[in-house]
Amino acid sequence: MNNLLMFHGRECPHCIVMMPIVDRLENETGIKIERLEVWHNEKNADLMRSYREIIEPKCGGQLRTPTFMNTETNDILCGEVKYEELKDWASE
Amino acid sequence: MKKYWRCHVCSDVHYGVNPPELCPTCKVLNAFVEISSAEAEKICGIAETTMDEVEFCDAIERFTVGNKFQINPDKNRVKTLLEGIFQNEKNYGMKYCPCRLTTKKFEEDLKLVCPCNFRIHDTYKDKEDGECWCGLFIRR
Repeated sequence: MNNLLMFHGRECPHCIVMMPIVDRLENETGIKIERLEVWHNEKNADLMRSYREIIEPKCGGQLRTPTFMNTETNDILCGEVKYEELKDWASE
Repeated sequence: MKKYWRCHVCSDVHYGVNPPELCPTCKVLNAFVEISSAEAEKICGIAETTMDEVEFCDAIERFTVGNKFQINPDKNRVKTLLEGIFQNEKNYGMKYCPCRLTTKKFEEDLKLVCPCNFRIHDTYKDKEDGECWCGLFIRR
């Protein structure tokens, strides 16, 4: 499994906005972010829940989507962000 | 702890820590008596109601009346959110927000049922352009 994850929901508008930004990041930098849909895939949902203690303090106390997570550093990015912010997070 | 209460005049059922002083239906004062969950379930089961997307939209539109928020005028966004809300009801039994994940603890997850109590959230509270996390409700 890639150490950079994106937990997203199929019908989450924030996630829909972020998809082309993640595409661009992957195309321009070669960085890969594993996209895990959580409302239609119980395995992915349970994985996100397993990181609850790490995600919630940085996401308004909830398991919000989209959540970007670096599983090596536990660095979290939550919600819609601009390309540069995502790139900075993914490059750290 | 929340309990069930029945109006002894018109059989309105209330679920809460305390009963309402005034019955909202028959307007009788001090009319509620504590009942069991089995009785409450029977009474509430009398009326089998359903709610489709149009009816839900009407319900949340009425909910905004008199409040400082409105439904997001972005129709595409609302359409996407409604798809998610109704998918979640179909799959998980409640209209959970499609932009947050449940914890699998039912009482805790009631906080994620749309409309949620977004007025206390960081994305809405004290913000001029506040909105609920998913953006279905935005400040007027």
